Amino acid sequence: MREIGKLAFILFAISAVASFLLGFTNYMTRDTIAEQIRLENERARKEVLADAKGFEQVDQKTVLKIAKALKFENPEIITEVYIGKSGDTIVGYTIKSVPKGYAGEIGVLTGISAEGILTGMRVTSNNETPGLGAKSTDPKFYGQYTDKPIENPIEVIKSGTPGDNEIQAISGSTITSKAVTNGVNLSIQIYKELIK
Amino acid sequence: MNFGKNLFNGIIPENPTFRLVLGTCPTLAVTTAAINGVGMGLSTTLVLIGSNVVISALRKVIPDKIRIPAFVVIIASFVTIVGMLMKAYTPDLDKALGIYIPLIVVNCIILARAEAFAFTNTVADSFADGLGMGLGFTLALTVMGSVRELLGAGSIFGTVILGGGFEPALMMILPPGAFLAYGLLMGLLNKVSESK
Repeated sequence: MREIGKLAFILFAISAVASFLLGFTNYMTRDTIAEQIRLENERARKEVLADAKGFEQVDQKTVLKIAKALKFENPEIITEVYIGKSGDTIVGYTIKSVPKGYAGEIGVLTGISAEGILTGMRVTSNNETPGLGAKSTDPKFYGQYTDKPIENPIEVIKSGTPGDNEIQAISGSTITSKAVTNGVNLSIQIYKELIK
Repeated sequence: MNFGKNLFNGIIPENPTFRLVLGTCPTLAVTTAAINGVGMGLSTTLVLIGSNVVISALRKVIPDKIRIPAFVVIIASFVTIVGMLMKAYTPDLDKALGIYIPLIVVNCIILARAEAFAFTNTVADSFADGLGMGLGFTLALTVMGSVRELLGAGSIFGTVILGGGFEPALMMILPPGAFLAYGLLMGLLNKVSESK
């Protein structure tokens, strides 16, 4: 009996020290990590909407309401909307969506200018197959979205020369290409409601 | 002398991947490209050295009967702390290696070395063992990543080597290719060491 008590106490002591160290590290790094994430997101938003000097988040409840009104299959697919401003003028919007790809959700950040032109798209997170769907983070793929007009939904084509509202799929990764494009198209729909 | 022997032991004679067949799960999962092998390998090396040293230092305090739960607590805390520190203070390193850190918690190489080596050896020897095993793991993952990347995408470390007429065997960077490459490399290594 005494041995069990001793063992339990030692294990308790080890766990207590470990928990204390974890808690302490978390306390020390929490704010820095939050700041790093904020900076990283800010940088990504600037990349897709270069004209903006600052960003202001649109209330997520408003966004959800719009997505529901548009009858999105999953209204929560739109996760973040920011208004990009330069001084007091609205220069455009950045809209983040998480469409389902080949392997889980893909983070798609879409920038649309106040003039209604796609200013850029970035895949911010993905679990797609390396060498295939993961190529969606290559400039060769995401660059295609820049400067597209938004009157019509973007279509994915497998071969030929892409037209005004078309982009070329990553070869071998049609599912990923379509998912990303779907995210962009849904973002465009949200944008159109937001500027009304 | 001992230091060198302990160090070398993990690299070839008891290579964790090809000899001890430990940590096969991350081995199969991350070796889709050479650079991933290096990233996973080096992250593991850091954690392995750290956990080996801590466990070796505490080997007189930890009673035999509760060593496994004690190891698990120590390793998991260590990995989590390293992960948090990286996120907060070295965001660039975190971007490159961060995705591997959570994988290391469940990497059995760490637990195996704690049990088989660090618990019964001095701190200095355990340090050497951690470094050697880590480098052996890195080497194995890099070789496997290179083979798969070369056959599956025609490049190594992102540099195109087999260009032009080479049609990449996509299967090599997909899961079946992992098993094929692993099996063949292990067989090759056995063959080579047998004929010595």
